[in-house]
Amino acid sequence: MSDKKTVFSFSDIHVEVGGNEVVKGVSLDIKEGEIHAIMGPNGSGKSSLANALAGHPSYEITGGKAMIYGKDLLEMDATERALAGLFLAFQYPLAIPGVTVANFLRAAVKAKHGGDEEALRSFRKNLKEKFKLLEVDTSFATRYVNDGFSGGEKKRLEILQMAMLDPKIGILDETDSGLDIDALKVVSKGINSVATGKNGLLLVTHYQRILNYIKPDKVHVMMNGKFVREGGPELALELEEKGYDWIKAENQQAVEV
Amino acid sequence: MITETLTEQKVAFRPIAENEPDWLYDLRSRAWDYFQEAEMPSQVEHLWKYTKPKWFMPKEIEKKMSVLPVASEIKDEEIAPLKPEFAAFGCNHGDRITYTQLSEELKSSGIVFEDIQKAITNHPDLVQKYLGRLIGYDFGKFEALNMALFNSGMFLYLPPNIELEKPIYMHRHPDDKYNIPRLLVVVGDNSKATIIDDYAGKANDRPYNANCAVEIFGGQNSQIRFVSPQNLYKESRSYVTQRAQIDQHGRMFSIFVSLGSDVSKFNLGTILNGQGAYSQMLGILFGDEKQHFDHHTMHHHKAGESFSNIDFKVVLKDKALSAYTGLIKIDEKTLNCEAFQENRNLLLNKGARAESIPELEILNDQVRCSHGATVGPIDPEMVFYLKSRGYSTDEAVRTIVAGFIEPLLTAVPEDLRQMMQNMVQFKLNNGTGE
Ligand SMILES: Nc1ncnc2c1ncn2[C@@H]1O[C@H](COP(=O)(O)OP(=O)(O)OP(=O)(O)O)[C@@H](O)[C@H]1O
Ligand SMILES: [Mg+2]
Repeated sequence: MSDKKTVFSFSDIHVEVGGNEVVKGVSLDIKEGEIHAIMGPNGSGKSSLANALAGHPSYEITGGKAMIYGKDLLEMDATERALAGLFLAFQYPLAIPGVTVANFLRAAVKAKHGGDEEALRSFRKNLKEKFKLLEVDTSFATRYVNDGFSGGEKKRLEILQMAMLDPKIGILDETDSGLDIDALKVVSKGINSVATGKNGLLLVTHYQRILNYIKPDKVHVMMNGKFVREGGPELALELEEKGYDWIKAENQQAVEV
Repeated sequence: MITETLTEQKVAFRPIAENEPDWLYDLRSRAWDYFQEAEMPSQVEHLWKYTKPKWFMPKEIEKKMSVLPVASEIKDEEIAPLKPEFAAFGCNHGDRITYTQLSEELKSSGIVFEDIQKAITNHPDLVQKYLGRLIGYDFGKFEALNMALFNSGMFLYLPPNIELEKPIYMHRHPDDKYNIPRLLVVVGDNSKATIIDDYAGKANDRPYNANCAVEIFGGQNSQIRFVSPQNLYKESRSYVTQRAQIDQHGRMFSIFVSLGSDVSKFNLGTILNGQGAYSQMLGILFGDEKQHFDHHTMHHHKAGESFSNIDFKVVLKDKALSAYTGLIKIDEKTLNCEAFQENRNLLLNKGARAESIPELEILNDQVRCSHGATVGPIDPEMVFYLKSRGYSTDEAVRTIVAGFIEPLLTAVPEDLRQMMQNMVQFKLNNGTGE
């Protein structure tokens, strides 16, 4: 098949939170330039998986393996994972009062590029470009991170951050939720700008709508902590039409047989 | 214990100088009697709930009884010229005589800026008019001790109608003895001054104990900016009582930054003494290791249409402790006052502890008043958010702390902000060993 390199992969990942196993052995392999989507009912473990992969201390990975560009992800803490090229766009981005968006991002870019003077020198220009790309008013540069932002503004800023940091793998947890129709287009444009060439994307979503703008290579259905079905973009359409019950039913049968 | 037998037996009281005026000798001997007779503050009292009074008791106090101020160890010719960014400069080490410098323009303005003992000799009437009027001999046991035995300090008198653009910089260093400094500041009607009272103790690295009193008078329409960074040596103990009194339409803006000392107890108060007087206090406290801070602030509205605001932010790590009590007092007949008070505490780890106790004594209902206090740990979700963007844990914590303090820094006038930022940054970086 394809001789593309794997950017990001995990296998048989188990996650525990608050003493419960909420992710029960899931596997995935994302190659360069690929976009994968995860869909699934509320509470099925999508955010838990995303948080655990990003290194959130409350989400313990109790089994499995995960690799980013051939490096063992699970050996790293959240900082190291970010520096290795993993980016999580949060379902509920947090406010950091007193820290301006510009300063916040400058430090993040500095952390990524270390002593690379050039990256810091072009920071302003780059930031300006990204503000334009995501159609965010430049006044946001001096506002405190997510402090008093509307739901949609927060999501936009998550993607702006991603565009600034240009990660190898972006995990987007319901970035499309809470966006109006125009915003969805703009944000999709931002996402697509990152999903070029060597990068991979993992999109968690409830709606096939965003997939009109961002073409997934694969769609995974997550239920009760497991991936229960895999398909192409047409699977998203089918889910939109029929909901999850039919998969649930099929799965039930499979278990009973 | 020496200190205990001393408080029982009476020691003959001696003058601090051969030509000491009678009024001062009387005042000081009354203070001495008061100190001898006053009980140690009871720890049941709210203001002493967290801090042991005996920590501030001097040893071998009889040695202080007749101490005359010692000449400065710095010879006149060794004193560097006044830096162009300051209007005046004063330097005081331990119980040595303060040396002061004035800019050329100020020399003929009628300003007095001298060692406090010298001022008693040179300007006895002026000193008599103000000394002890806000912190009297019977203010409290430790204040009485200060009044009885103060033997170093500065006197600043700014006549009416003088506006200083540049700050007056006071460099005050306790040394390895029991220090009893006193600072007296008078700013005349319509005058304007910025005073930086740098209370720091890097002179030598030996433990010391200091009992300090600060009295500040702001005349009608005066504007005082009083910046008070406390960066005392980590092994030291420090007891400070500060009172400011602001007359009609006068404005007092005070900033205190508490970073140093092992144990420090600060009682900081501003009295709004005239119609329309204004006071804003900003406080930043950053403690680590086993530092113990006990701060009390007070805004006393004695006149109508006066305004006060305090914003006091505390950051603690390791096993540091901060106890804060903030009093707003509005008298019965003083109507239409506004008073605000906020104290936020950020704890960086489990061992750190903060107490916050607002106190309101508001005796009429024609006021606008609000107060708030919060104590909380650093939010681990915030730390994760920053780490997920490539911040190290240390950087994440530092960023959150800087953000916590940021709204306060923006309230600091622009020309003083950089200085504040540097001080906080220094402690922040030090705190993480970088
Ligand atoms: N921090 C937590 N503490 C306790 N339980 C948690 C925590 N986070 C998630 N859970 C539980 O884990 C399960 C999976 O939640 P998760 O947020 O991963 O679902 P999701 O698939 O992202 O749902 P949604 O579509 O509603 O966002 C739920 O039962 C949830 O209550
Ligand atoms: Mg979720």
